[in-house]
Amino acid sequence: MDIFKIVGVGIITAITALIVKQIKPEVSVIITISGGIVMLLMLVESLTNIFGAFNSIVEKSGLSSGLFSTILKIIGVGYITEFSANLCSDAGASSIADKILLSGKIIILVLALPIVSNIIDIISGLLP
Amino acid sequence: MGVEIIFKIAAVGIITAVVNQVLKHANKEEIATLTTLAGLIVVLLMVLNLIGTLFDTVRTMFNL
Repeated sequence: MDIFKIVGVGIITAITALIVKQIKPEVSVIITISGGIVMLLMLVESLTNIFGAFNSIVEKSGLSSGLFSTILKIIGVGYITEFSANLCSDAGASSIADKILLSGKIIILVLALPIVSNIIDIISGLLP
Repeated sequence: MGVEIIFKIAAVGIITAVVNQVLKHANKEEIATLTTLAGLIVVLLMVLNLIGTLFDTVRTMFNL
């Protein structure tokens, strides 16, 4: 199972960062960041399987594919924002992390606007 | 793409620190600061490369 591989990389990264922290503190922050990225890149192909399954479900259920791609975009934006916010707070710049979180929320809101207006049109159509 | 990238970065960090110490004892202070800077830049480039691949993967996967 590749869960052990991923967890192994995580533990090795944590220990290496700990060792290098005494020698060179800047490099230990960079090691934690790169360890996180390596673990995520290992998850990519299982994520693509999940999205493939979701795609087929959406097509079968007859939902509009535009809806699903917007949801995917929102998930992607949310994930990248959370990843870089954690990265910045790891590096000690928590104020920048808050600003990244704020900008992520705003972008997600912008992405979600068409869906909201879509729903409101449908509702106003239903009412007499 | 695995553990070796982490060990590479750790190795560059440690080697920079060692070279820095050696140069300090050979009382060449300015070269010592330069080598530390160079080591840090090399490490940053490695991480930049990794972050680039991650962002490209996320872009293609979520078709952002």
